[in-house]
Amino acid sequence: MSVTAETAGWSTTAEPRPWITEDWLSVWIGLGIFALALGWLWGVDLLGWVVTTSVWIDPSQALGTFSKAYGQLGGPGALAVTYLALLAVLTAGARVLGLDLRRFAIAFTAVFAFAYASWIIGSYAYVAVVTPADQQKFGIGWSLKLTNEGGYVVALLLGLIIANFFPRLAEWLKEAIRPELYIKIAIVILGAFLAVTAAGRLTLATSLLWRGIAAIIEAYLIYWAVVYYIARKWFGFNREWAAPLASGISICGVSAAIAVGGAIRARPIVPVMVSSLVVIFAVVEVLILPFLAQSFLWQEPMVAGAWMGLAVKTDGAAVAGGGITESLILAKAAAEGIRYQPGWILGVTATVKVFIDIFIGIWAFVLGYIWTRHINPTQDGARVGEIWQRFPKFIIGFVLTFVVGLALALGTPTEISSRLPAAIGEANTFRVIFFILTFFSIGVLSDFKRLWQEGIGKLAAVYVLSLFGFVIWVGLIISWLFFAGVKPPLAS
Amino acid sequence: MPGPDLQQELQNAPPEPLLPVEKKLIGWSLGIGLALLVVLLLVSRFVPASL
Repeated sequence: MSVTAETAGWSTTAEPRPWITEDWLSVWIGLGIFALALGWLWGVDLLGWVVTTSVWIDPSQALGTFSKAYGQLGGPGALAVTYLALLAVLTAGARVLGLDLRRFAIAFTAVFAFAYASWIIGSYAYVAVVTPADQQKFGIGWSLKLTNEGGYVVALLLGLIIANFFPRLAEWLKEAIRPELYIKIAIVILGAFLAVTAAGRLTLATSLLWRGIAAIIEAYLIYWAVVYYIARKWFGFNREWAAPLASGISICGVSAAIAVGGAIRARPIVPVMVSSLVVIFAVVEVLILPFLAQSFLWQEPMVAGAWMGLAVKTDGAAVAGGGITESLILAKAAAEGIRYQPGWILGVTATVKVFIDIFIGIWAFVLGYIWTRHINPTQDGARVGEIWQRFPKFIIGFVLTFVVGLALALGTPTEISSRLPAAIGEANTFRVIFFILTFFSIGVLSDFKRLWQEGIGKLAAVYVLSLFGFVIWVGLIISWLFFAGVKPPLAS
Repeated sequence: MPGPDLQQELQNAPPEPLLPVEKKLIGWSLGIGLALLVVLLLVSRFVPASL
């Protein structure tokens, strides 16, 4: 099985509940990195040792430190320190989650090694270089032009290879395969990055937020209704399967399937099976849609960003897919002589996804109310408190870093606010590392063969029909209607 | 994990016809959703995004 109750962040009743959820843990880790990075504003560089990767042809030039102040560490030293710091923080997190610490530490070491090696491979000049000028600079005649963020795709493919050809290795890595944790930490940090990006163009950012509301309507009121109808009427699924399935395909994958499954009192196996499908199809989408967007939507970058948020399910795959889309489109536009400011395409994807996530608890409550009062009346009726219980808490971290970042950018003296981009850039380097860990983890969870053996072909059929026949294209139309003609600012 | 059992369950599940409350849920969702999208679209046309 590729997604279990445990990996989906869902405690089964037989296990003791940890005192903190993975969701809250992501908030605290994300906020911690953000807070430490802010030391830069007052001249205290606490995280400058974090490893960064440049496009390389000579391996010795690949790695370095974010800050020159820590330059004496060298690339391999920065990589080692970054690994040790993440190991310490995440192992402490594993402790509060009640995981097996030894197994986690060993598995995380391997996960970090595989994931970061993918990132380094993705930054190889023959893979990453985009423009003829850069080809000349590196002395190469061709390249795959994937940008250095092609490393995400390499990490995903490596994860898929492990999941499908080395199942025992995948099982051994399981303790540290936590895509939901990694992406939520990344999204908390992303809030600050988007704030700095938005601060320079507040009017544009506000109008993008306004357009993001369309995503909520589309996901909850249109996608859900159509997919639920298809599952019930055309495929004959009963209500217990159809509601989590429709939620998984329409709203936000794993989280929505689990929230709705719980709200309608479905058996735990139902949302877990749906979550497996969500993860696998999200992988397929991430491997296809960003490249389609680069080919057909490079002149409408915001449409492409919104499309990723609407079409790709699960936070991890969607936001990470937005990252790949941004790098591919920026590269294509740069080759045509247009240099867009980075951050806006990814910003639209993240905004759309976060807007959708906010309402998961409310939607689960609405369905829970209908189910427990009108469909299967039970004494255990839906409670309003469940809205908060099911609210994705990492959104609080995202909003907090966004608001604080915006306040610092707009409300502090120039000598402080001018240092903010560098401070957030430092935190953003960690965001990239958590993205890489997410991509690799999603790949390792996607065991296509075992999924098929478990006999959920019929569920997959609904998914394929709804996703490729409806969700992707309606998402594209809505994105086009609301975001066409809106361009990111040009890089100065 | 349940393999053949789950497959059997999905294949042999007794039919559950759509209840009136489900039809209402689908109908109202689509109706409100489309109406709100039209309103948002009109508003976004009157308030175009600008730098």
